[in-house]
Amino acid sequence: MGRIVRILIALAILGAGAGWYLTEPVMRSTADVELLTGDKAHGEAVFWASGCESCHMAPNAKGADQLVLAGGQAFPTAFGTFYAPNISSDPTAGIGGWSIATFSHAIRDGITPEGEHEYPAMPYVAYAKMEPQDLVDLKAFLDSLPASATPNKPHDVGFPFNIRRSLGGWKLLFGGTGYVLTGDLTDQVKRGRYLAEALAHCGECHTPRNAMGGLTKAAWLGGSVIDDGKSKVPNITSGKLDWSDKDIFTYLTTGATPEFDFAGGAMAHVVENMGHLPESDVQAIVAYIKAVPAVK
Amino acid sequence: MEIHMKKLKLLGLTTALVLAGVTVWAETADPFADIVETRHGLMMQMAADVGKMGAMVKGDAPYDAATAARAAANVVAIASVISLDQFPAGSEQGKSADSSAKPELWATPDDFLAKLGDLNTAAEALKTAAATNPDALKSGISALGKACGACHSAYRASQG
Repeated sequence: MGRIVRILIALAILGAGAGWYLTEPVMRSTADVELLTGDKAHGEAVFWASGCESCHMAPNAKGADQLVLAGGQAFPTAFGTFYAPNISSDPTAGIGGWSIATFSHAIRDGITPEGEHEYPAMPYVAYAKMEPQDLVDLKAFLDSLPASATPNKPHDVGFPFNIRRSLGGWKLLFGGTGYVLTGDLTDQVKRGRYLAEALAHCGECHTPRNAMGGLTKAAWLGGSVIDDGKSKVPNITSGKLDWSDKDIFTYLTTGATPEFDFAGGAMAHVVENMGHLPESDVQAIVAYIKAVPAVK
Repeated sequence: MEIHMKKLKLLGLTTALVLAGVTVWAETADPFADIVETRHGLMMQMAADVGKMGAMVKGDAPYDAATAARAAANVVAIASVISLDQFPAGSEQGKSADSSAKPELWATPDDFLAKLGDLNTAAEALKTAAATNPDALKSGISALGKACGACHSAYRASQG
Protein backbone atom coordinates (compact mmCIF):
# COMPACT_ATOMS: atom_id res chain seq x y z
CA MET A 1 0.00 0.00 0.00
CA GLY A 2 2.72 2.44 1.03
CA ARG A 3 4.56 1.61 -2.14
CA ILE A 4 1.53 2.41 -4.33
CA VAL A 5 1.12 5.75 -2.58
CA ARG A 6 4.79 6.49 -3.15
CA ILE A 7 4.45 5.64 -6.85
CA LEU A 8 1.36 7.82 -7.13
CA ILE A 9 3.13 10.73 -5.47
CA ALA A 10 6.08 10.27 -7.77
CA LEU A 11 3.77 10.21 -10.79
CA ALA A 12 1.96 13.32 -9.59
CA ILE A 13 5.25 15.16 -9.24
CA LEU A 14 6.30 13.98 -12.70
CA GLY A 15 2.93 15.04 -14.14
CA ALA A 16 3.11 18.45 -12.53
CA GLY A 17 6.66 18.80 -13.79
CA ALA A 18 5.63 17.86 -17.32
CA GLY A 19 2.68 20.28 -17.10
CA TRP A 20 4.97 23.04 -15.88
CA TYR A 21 7.37 22.32 -18.70
CA LEU A 22 4.63 22.18 -21.35
CA THR A 23 3.01 25.43 -20.23
CA GLU A 24 6.28 27.35 -20.22
CA PRO A 25 6.10 30.39 -22.50
CA VAL A 26 7.83 29.42 -25.75
CA MET A 27 9.55 32.20 -27.60
CA ARG A 28 10.48 31.72 -31.18
CA SER A 29 13.81 32.95 -32.46
CA THR A 30 13.81 36.58 -33.52
CA ALA A 31 16.77 36.11 -35.85
CA ASP A 32 14.45 36.71 -38.82
CA VAL A 33 13.64 40.25 -37.69
CA GLU A 34 16.74 41.45 -35.80
CA LEU A 35 18.67 42.63 -38.85
CA LEU A 36 15.81 44.15 -40.83
CA THR A 37 15.22 47.89 -41.13
CA GLY A 38 11.70 49.15 -40.61
CA ASP A 39 9.87 51.15 -43.27
CA LYS A 40 7.37 53.44 -41.57
CA ALA A 41 5.25 54.09 -44.67
CA HIS A 42 4.76 50.41 -45.40
CA GLY A 43 4.24 49.82 -41.69
CA GLU A 44 1.18 52.06 -41.88
CA ALA A 45 -0.36 49.71 -44.46
CA VAL A 46 0.35 46.74 -42.14
CA PHE A 47 -1.17 48.73 -39.27
CA TRP A 48 -4.48 49.37 -41.06
CA ALA A 49 -4.67 45.82 -42.38
CA SER A 50 -4.10 44.51 -38.84
CA GLY A 51 -6.63 46.88 -37.29
CA CYS A 52 -4.46 47.67 -34.24
CA GLU A 53 -6.25 50.92 -33.42
CA SER A 54 -9.73 49.35 -33.45
CA CYS A 55 -8.94 47.76 -30.07
CA HIS A 56 -6.04 49.86 -28.75
CA MET A 57 -7.39 53.40 -29.16
CA ALA A 58 -9.03 54.94 -26.09
CA PRO A 59 -12.74 54.17 -25.66
CA ASN A 60 -14.84 56.25 -28.11
CA ALA A 61 -11.79 58.01 -29.59
CA LYS A 62 -12.63 60.03 -32.70
CA GLY A 63 -10.63 61.44 -35.60
CA ALA A 64 -6.92 61.92 -35.03
CA ASP A 65 -7.28 60.62 -31.45
CA GLN A 66 -7.78 57.16 -32.95
CA LEU A 67 -4.03 57.08 -33.52
CA VAL A 68 -3.30 57.69 -29.82
CA LEU A 69 -3.11 54.04 -28.81
CA ALA A 70 -3.70 54.64 -25.10
CA GLY A 71 -5.73 51.45 -24.57
CA GLY A 72 -8.55 51.05 -22.07
CA GLN A 73 -11.35 49.59 -24.20
CA ALA A 74 -13.18 46.76 -22.42
CA PHE A 75 -13.73 43.34 -24.01
CA PRO A 76 -16.30 41.32 -22.03
CA THR A 77 -16.01 37.55 -22.55
CA ALA A 78 -17.18 34.38 -20.83
CA PHE A 79 -13.80 34.28 -19.06
CA GLY A 80 -13.84 37.82 -17.71
CA THR A 81 -13.35 41.34 -19.00
CA PHE A 82 -10.12 42.19 -20.76
CA TYR A 83 -8.81 45.74 -21.14
CA ALA A 84 -6.66 46.61 -24.13
CA PRO A 85 -3.26 47.88 -22.98
CA ASN A 86 -1.47 51.09 -23.93
CA ILE A 87 0.63 50.40 -27.06
CA SER A 88 1.47 54.04 -27.73
CA SER A 89 5.06 55.14 -28.24
CA ASP A 90 5.40 56.23 -24.59
CA PRO A 91 8.61 54.54 -23.33
CA THR A 92 7.13 53.60 -19.94
CA ALA A 93 3.32 53.54 -20.20
CA GLY A 94 3.40 52.27 -23.79
CA ILE A 95 5.74 50.15 -25.90
CA GLY A 96 8.13 52.83 -27.12
CA GLY A 97 10.97 51.27 -25.14
CA TRP A 98 10.56 47.78 -26.57
CA SER A 99 13.25 46.13 -28.67
CA ILE A 100 12.23 44.43 -31.90
CA ALA A 101 12.69 41.08 -30.11
CA THR A 102 10.28 42.06 -27.31
CA PHE A 103 7.83 43.34 -29.93
CA SER A 104 8.11 40.10 -31.90
CA HIS A 105 7.40 37.99 -28.79
CA ALA A 106 4.35 40.13 -27.94
CA ILE A 107 2.90 40.05 -31.46
CA ARG A 108 3.86 36.62 -32.79
CA ASP A 109 4.27 34.51 -29.62
CA GLY A 110 1.72 36.14 -27.32
CA ILE A 111 4.31 36.72 -24.60
CA THR A 112 4.67 39.89 -22.54
CA PRO A 113 8.02 41.57 -21.82
CA GLU A 114 7.74 40.01 -18.34
CA GLY A 115 7.78 36.58 -19.99
CA GLU A 116 4.14 35.78 -19.24
CA HIS A 117 1.50 34.46 -21.64
CA GLU A 118 -0.82 37.07 -23.11
CA TYR A 119 -4.53 36.34 -23.06
CA PRO A 120 -5.80 35.40 -26.52
CA ALA A 121 -8.01 38.51 -26.56
CA MET A 122 -4.89 39.67 -28.41
CA PRO A 123 -5.03 37.82 -31.76
CA TYR A 124 -1.45 36.53 -31.65
CA VAL A 125 -2.51 33.19 -33.12
CA ALA A 126 -3.30 35.17 -36.29
CA TYR A 127 -0.31 37.54 -36.04
CA ALA A 128 2.01 34.52 -35.62
CA LYS A 129 1.84 34.32 -39.42
CA MET A 130 2.98 37.94 -39.91
CA GLU A 131 5.86 38.27 -42.38
CA PRO A 132 9.13 39.36 -40.67
CA GLN A 133 9.44 42.52 -42.78
CA ASP A 134 5.83 43.48 -42.05
CA LEU A 135 6.47 43.06 -38.31
CA VAL A 136 9.51 45.35 -38.41
CA ASP A 137 7.70 47.92 -40.56
CA LEU A 138 4.72 47.87 -38.20
CA LYS A 139 6.98 48.65 -35.25
CA ALA A 140 8.54 51.54 -37.16
CA PHE A 141 5.07 52.98 -37.77
CA LEU A 142 3.90 52.47 -34.17
CA ASP A 143 7.06 54.19 -32.94
CA SER A 144 6.05 57.24 -35.00
CA LEU A 145 2.61 57.59 -33.37
CA PRO A 146 1.87 59.88 -30.39
CA ALA A 147 2.75 58.87 -26.82
CA SER A 148 0.15 58.51 -24.08
CA ALA A 149 0.92 58.22 -20.37
CA THR A 150 -2.36 56.39 -19.61
CA PRO A 151 -1.56 53.44 -17.31
CA ASN A 152 -2.79 49.96 -18.23
CA LYS A 153 -6.01 48.80 -16.61
CA PRO A 154 -5.68 45.31 -15.08
CA HIS A 155 -7.88 42.60 -16.63
CA ASP A 156 -10.92 41.61 -14.59
CA VAL A 157 -10.53 37.84 -14.78
CA GLY A 158 -11.43 35.37 -12.02
CA PHE A 159 -9.92 32.02 -10.98
CA PRO A 160 -8.75 29.83 -12.69
CA PHE A 161 -8.34 32.04 -15.76
CA ASN A 162 -6.22 34.51 -13.83
CA ILE A 163 -3.41 31.94 -13.77
CA ARG A 164 -1.60 32.98 -16.91
CA ARG A 165 0.54 29.85 -16.88
CA SER A 166 -2.55 27.82 -17.84
CA LEU A 167 -2.57 29.69 -21.17
CA GLY A 168 0.45 27.59 -22.10
CA GLY A 169 -1.94 24.65 -22.34
CA TRP A 170 -4.38 26.77 -24.34
CA LYS A 171 -1.64 27.64 -26.78
CA LEU A 172 -0.67 23.98 -27.15
CA LEU A 173 -4.27 23.16 -28.06
CA PHE A 174 -5.24 26.17 -30.17
CA GLY A 175 -2.01 27.89 -31.19
CA GLY A 176 0.13 27.12 -34.19
CA THR A 177 1.23 29.06 -37.19
CA GLY A 178 -0.56 27.23 -40.00
CA TYR A 179 -3.22 28.58 -42.32
CA VAL A 180 -6.79 27.31 -42.20
CA LEU A 181 -7.44 27.57 -45.94
CA THR A 182 -4.97 25.30 -47.73
CA GLY A 183 -4.68 23.67 -51.11
CA ASP A 184 -3.93 24.89 -54.59
CA LEU A 185 -4.64 28.62 -54.35
CA THR A 186 -4.22 31.48 -56.82
CA ASP A 187 -1.79 34.26 -55.90
CA GLN A 188 -4.74 36.58 -55.30
CA VAL A 189 -6.37 34.15 -52.85
CA LYS A 190 -3.00 33.62 -51.14
CA ARG A 191 -2.65 37.38 -50.67
CA GLY A 192 -6.23 37.53 -49.37
CA ARG A 193 -5.49 34.66 -47.02
CA TYR A 194 -2.48 36.47 -45.60
CA LEU A 195 -4.51 39.64 -45.12
CA ALA A 196 -7.58 37.88 -43.66
CA GLU A 197 -5.98 35.10 -41.59
CA ALA A 198 -2.72 36.71 -40.46
CA LEU A 199 -3.35 40.47 -40.32
CA ALA A 200 -7.05 41.40 -40.29
CA HIS A 201 -7.82 38.37 -38.04
CA CYS A 202 -11.40 38.03 -39.38
CA GLY A 203 -11.71 34.61 -37.76
CA GLU A 204 -11.38 36.02 -34.23
CA CYS A 205 -14.98 37.28 -34.39
CA HIS A 206 -16.49 35.37 -37.33
CA THR A 207 -15.44 31.84 -36.30
CA PRO A 208 -17.28 30.12 -33.43
CA ARG A 209 -15.28 29.33 -30.29
CA ASN A 210 -15.41 26.14 -28.25
CA ALA A 211 -15.96 25.95 -24.47
CA MET A 212 -12.27 26.74 -23.88
CA GLY A 213 -12.29 29.77 -26.16
CA GLY A 214 -10.40 28.09 -29.01
CA LEU A 215 -11.49 28.78 -32.58
CA THR A 216 -13.45 25.93 -34.24
CA LYS A 217 -11.45 25.65 -37.45
CA ALA A 218 -13.95 23.18 -38.96
CA ALA A 219 -16.51 26.02 -38.97
CA TRP A 220 -14.07 28.73 -40.11
CA LEU A 221 -15.87 32.08 -40.59
CA GLY A 222 -19.17 30.29 -39.95
CA GLY A 223 -20.54 32.92 -37.57
CA SER A 224 -20.23 33.42 -33.83
CA VAL A 225 -21.23 35.60 -30.90
CA ILE A 226 -19.05 38.21 -29.18
CA ASP A 227 -19.37 40.61 -26.23
CA ASP A 228 -19.98 37.70 -23.87
CA GLY A 229 -22.82 36.41 -26.04
CA LYS A 230 -24.54 39.74 -26.61
CA SER A 231 -23.61 40.44 -30.24
CA LYS A 232 -24.18 38.07 -33.13
CA VAL A 233 -21.49 37.91 -35.80
CA PRO A 234 -22.68 36.53 -39.14
CA ASN A 235 -21.57 33.51 -41.09
CA ILE A 236 -19.63 35.00 -44.04
CA THR A 237 -19.02 31.77 -45.94
CA SER A 238 -20.97 30.91 -49.08
CA GLY A 239 -23.08 28.59 -46.92
CA LYS A 240 -24.96 31.67 -45.76
CA LEU A 241 -23.70 34.83 -47.44
CA ASP A 242 -25.02 35.05 -51.00
CA TRP A 243 -23.45 38.43 -51.83
CA SER A 244 -21.60 38.88 -55.12
CA ASP A 245 -17.91 39.85 -55.23
CA LYS A 246 -19.02 43.40 -55.92
CA ASP A 247 -21.40 43.36 -52.93
CA ILE A 248 -18.62 42.24 -50.56
CA PHE A 249 -16.17 44.76 -52.02
CA THR A 250 -18.70 47.59 -51.61
CA TYR A 251 -19.45 46.51 -48.06
CA LEU A 252 -15.77 46.34 -47.06
CA THR A 253 -14.99 49.74 -48.57
CA THR A 254 -18.14 51.72 -47.71
CA GLY A 255 -19.97 49.71 -45.04
CA ALA A 256 -23.11 49.51 -47.20
CA THR A 257 -24.96 46.19 -47.45
CA PRO A 258 -26.64 45.36 -50.79
CA GLU A 259 -29.85 46.83 -49.28
CA PHE A 260 -27.87 50.00 -48.43
CA ASP A 261 -28.24 49.48 -44.75
CA PHE A 262 -25.29 50.37 -42.50
CA ALA A 263 -24.82 48.04 -39.57
CA GLY A 264 -22.18 49.76 -37.49
CA GLY A 265 -20.58 48.07 -34.49
CA ALA A 266 -17.13 46.50 -34.58
CA MET A 267 -17.36 46.03 -38.35
CA ALA A 268 -17.55 49.81 -38.82
CA HIS A 269 -13.92 49.97 -37.61
CA VAL A 270 -12.95 47.24 -40.05
CA VAL A 271 -14.54 49.17 -42.91
CA GLU A 272 -12.58 52.23 -41.85
CA ASN A 273 -9.36 50.20 -41.80
CA MET A 274 -10.08 48.65 -45.21
CA GLY A 275 -10.46 52.16 -46.62
CA HIS A 276 -6.70 52.59 -46.12
CA LEU A 277 -5.77 49.50 -48.14
CA PRO A 278 -5.07 49.45 -51.86
CA GLU A 279 -8.10 48.27 -53.85
CA SER A 280 -6.18 45.19 -54.98
CA ASP A 281 -5.82 44.08 -51.34
CA VAL A 282 -9.56 44.43 -50.68
CA GLN A 283 -10.23 42.47 -53.90
CA ALA A 284 -7.84 39.79 -52.60
CA ILE A 285 -9.81 39.54 -49.34
CA VAL A 286 -13.03 39.19 -51.38
CA ALA A 287 -11.42 36.39 -53.40
CA TYR A 288 -10.31 34.70 -50.18
CA ILE A 289 -13.78 34.89 -48.60
CA LYS A 290 -15.24 33.31 -51.73
CA ALA A 291 -12.67 30.51 -51.52
CA VAL A 292 -13.38 29.56 -47.88
CA PRO A 293 -15.40 26.31 -47.64
CA ALA A 294 -19.13 26.81 -47.07
CA VAL A 295 -20.37 26.44 -43.51
CA LYS A 296 -24.09 25.68 -43.29
CA MET B 1 -77.39 12.74 -29.27
CA GLU B 2 -73.91 12.39 -27.95
CA ILE B 3 -72.50 13.78 -31.17
CA HIS B 4 -74.81 16.74 -30.85
CA MET B 5 -73.52 17.46 -27.34
CA LYS B 6 -69.96 17.30 -28.62
CA LYS B 7 -70.79 19.81 -31.34
CA LEU B 8 -72.34 22.14 -28.80
CA LYS B 9 -69.31 21.90 -26.57
CA LEU B 10 -67.04 22.61 -29.53
CA LEU B 11 -69.14 25.61 -30.50
CA GLY B 12 -69.01 26.91 -26.93
CA LEU B 13 -65.26 26.44 -26.78
CA THR B 14 -64.73 28.15 -30.12
CA THR B 15 -66.88 31.11 -29.07
CA ALA B 16 -64.96 31.41 -25.81
CA LEU B 17 -61.64 31.33 -27.66
CA VAL B 18 -62.74 33.96 -30.18
CA LEU B 19 -64.00 36.21 -27.38
CA ALA B 20 -60.77 35.72 -25.44
CA GLY B 21 -58.84 36.57 -28.60
CA VAL B 22 -60.82 39.77 -29.12
CA THR B 23 -60.25 40.77 -25.50
CA VAL B 24 -56.50 40.18 -25.73
CA TRP B 25 -56.36 42.09 -29.02
CA ALA B 26 -58.28 45.02 -27.57
CA GLU B 27 -55.99 45.17 -24.55
CA THR B 28 -52.77 45.05 -26.53
CA ALA B 29 -53.64 47.15 -29.58
CA ASP B 30 -50.22 48.65 -30.30
CA PRO B 31 -50.25 52.37 -29.50
CA PHE B 32 -46.90 52.84 -31.25
CA ALA B 33 -47.70 50.91 -34.44
CA ASP B 34 -48.18 54.06 -36.55
CA ILE B 35 -45.14 55.95 -35.33
CA VAL B 36 -42.90 52.88 -35.72
CA GLU B 37 -44.19 52.50 -39.28
CA THR B 38 -43.49 56.19 -39.88
CA ARG B 39 -39.86 55.95 -38.81
CA HIS B 40 -39.35 52.76 -40.78
CA GLY B 41 -40.76 54.58 -43.81
CA LEU B 42 -38.28 57.42 -43.31
CA MET B 43 -35.40 54.94 -43.09
CA MET B 44 -36.58 53.07 -46.19
CA GLN B 45 -36.85 56.24 -48.25
CA MET B 46 -33.36 57.17 -47.10
CA ALA B 47 -32.07 53.71 -48.09
CA ALA B 48 -33.72 54.10 -51.51
CA ASP B 49 -31.94 57.40 -52.09
CA VAL B 50 -28.62 56.11 -50.77
CA GLY B 51 -29.18 53.09 -53.00
CA LYS B 52 -29.35 55.30 -56.10
CA MET B 53 -25.97 56.80 -55.23
CA GLY B 54 -24.64 53.43 -54.05
CA ALA B 55 -25.37 51.86 -57.42
CA MET B 56 -23.08 54.48 -58.98
CA VAL B 57 -20.36 53.81 -56.39
CA LYS B 58 -20.66 50.10 -57.04
CA GLY B 59 -20.52 50.48 -60.80
CA ASP B 60 -24.04 49.12 -61.30
CA ALA B 61 -25.14 52.46 -62.73
CA PRO B 62 -23.17 55.18 -64.56
CA TYR B 63 -22.23 58.22 -62.48
CA ASP B 64 -24.71 61.01 -63.04
CA ALA B 65 -24.13 64.19 -61.06
CA ALA B 66 -27.70 65.47 -61.31
CA THR B 67 -29.32 62.20 -60.15
CA ALA B 68 -26.79 61.84 -57.34
CA ALA B 69 -27.35 65.42 -56.21
CA ARG B 70 -31.12 64.96 -56.14
CA ALA B 71 -30.81 61.75 -54.10
CA ALA B 72 -28.42 63.47 -51.69
CA ALA B 73 -30.84 66.40 -51.31
CA ASN B 74 -33.54 63.89 -50.34
CA VAL B 75 -31.23 62.39 -47.71
CA VAL B 76 -30.63 65.88 -46.29
CA ALA B 77 -34.38 66.49 -46.14
CA ILE B 78 -35.20 63.17 -44.50
CA ALA B 79 -32.38 63.50 -41.97
CA SER B 80 -33.69 66.92 -40.98
CA VAL B 81 -37.16 65.46 -40.29
CA ILE B 82 -35.94 62.75 -37.92
CA SER B 83 -36.16 63.75 -34.26
CA LEU B 84 -37.38 62.38 -30.96
CA ASP B 85 -40.90 63.03 -32.32
CA GLN B 86 -40.74 59.70 -34.15
CA PHE B 87 -39.25 58.05 -31.07
CA PRO B 88 -41.78 58.62 -28.27
CA ALA B 89 -40.87 57.07 -24.92
CA GLY B 90 -41.97 53.45 -24.81
CA SER B 91 -41.85 52.76 -28.54
CA GLU B 92 -39.11 50.24 -27.97
CA GLN B 93 -38.48 46.66 -28.98
CA GLY B 94 -40.79 44.34 -27.06
CA LYS B 95 -43.34 47.06 -26.41
CA SER B 96 -44.24 47.61 -30.03
CA ALA B 97 -44.44 44.71 -32.44
CA ASP B 98 -42.21 46.06 -35.23
CA SER B 99 -39.85 48.18 -33.16
CA SER B 100 -36.13 47.37 -33.12
CA ALA B 101 -35.25 50.39 -30.96
CA LYS B 102 -33.23 49.58 -27.85
CA PRO B 103 -34.39 51.06 -24.52
CA GLU B 104 -30.93 52.71 -24.23
CA LEU B 105 -32.14 55.34 -26.70
CA TRP B 106 -34.38 56.87 -24.01
CA ALA B 107 -31.71 56.51 -21.33
CA THR B 108 -29.29 58.74 -23.26
CA PRO B 109 -31.44 60.95 -25.52
CA ASP B 110 -28.72 63.63 -25.73
CA ASP B 111 -26.33 61.13 -27.27
CA PHE B 112 -29.04 60.02 -29.69
CA LEU B 113 -29.57 63.64 -30.74
CA ALA B 114 -25.81 64.17 -31.08
CA LYS B 115 -25.61 61.16 -33.40
CA LEU B 116 -28.57 62.57 -35.31
CA GLY B 117 -26.61 65.82 -35.62
CA ASP B 118 -23.68 63.85 -37.08
CA LEU B 119 -26.09 62.36 -39.62
CA ASN B 120 -27.26 65.80 -40.71
CA THR B 121 -23.65 67.01 -41.02
CA ALA B 122 -22.69 63.97 -43.10
CA ALA B 123 -25.78 64.39 -45.29
CA GLU B 124 -24.95 68.06 -45.98
CA ALA B 125 -21.37 67.08 -46.92
CA LEU B 126 -22.72 64.35 -49.17
CA LYS B 127 -24.86 66.86 -51.05
CA THR B 128 -21.74 68.70 -52.19
CA ALA B 129 -19.75 65.51 -52.74
CA ALA B 130 -22.47 63.80 -54.79
CA ALA B 131 -22.38 66.53 -57.43
CA THR B 132 -18.57 66.66 -57.54
CA ASN B 133 -17.24 63.34 -58.88
CA PRO B 134 -17.49 59.55 -58.29
CA ASP B 135 -14.59 59.47 -55.79
CA ALA B 136 -16.06 62.27 -53.71
CA LEU B 137 -19.43 60.52 -53.84
CA LYS B 138 -17.86 57.32 -52.57
CA SER B 139 -16.20 58.98 -49.56
CA GLY B 140 -19.40 60.93 -48.91
CA ILE B 141 -21.43 57.70 -48.81
CA SER B 142 -18.87 56.08 -46.50
CA ALA B 143 -19.01 59.05 -44.12
CA LEU B 144 -22.81 59.00 -44.16
CA GLY B 145 -22.73 55.25 -43.53
CA LYS B 146 -20.52 55.79 -40.50
CA ALA B 147 -23.13 58.16 -39.05
CA CYS B 148 -25.91 55.65 -39.81
CA GLY B 149 -23.90 52.80 -38.30
CA ALA B 150 -22.94 54.72 -35.14
CA CYS B 151 -26.60 55.18 -34.26
CA HIS B 152 -27.64 51.69 -35.38
CA SER B 153 -24.98 49.98 -33.29
CA ALA B 154 -25.93 52.00 -30.21
CA TYR B 155 -29.71 52.06 -30.48
CA ARG B 156 -30.93 49.44 -32.96
CA ALA B 157 -31.26 45.89 -31.71
CA SER B 158 -29.52 43.19 -33.72
CA GLN B 159 -31.76 42.03 -36.54
CA GLY B 160 -29.63 39.01 -37.44
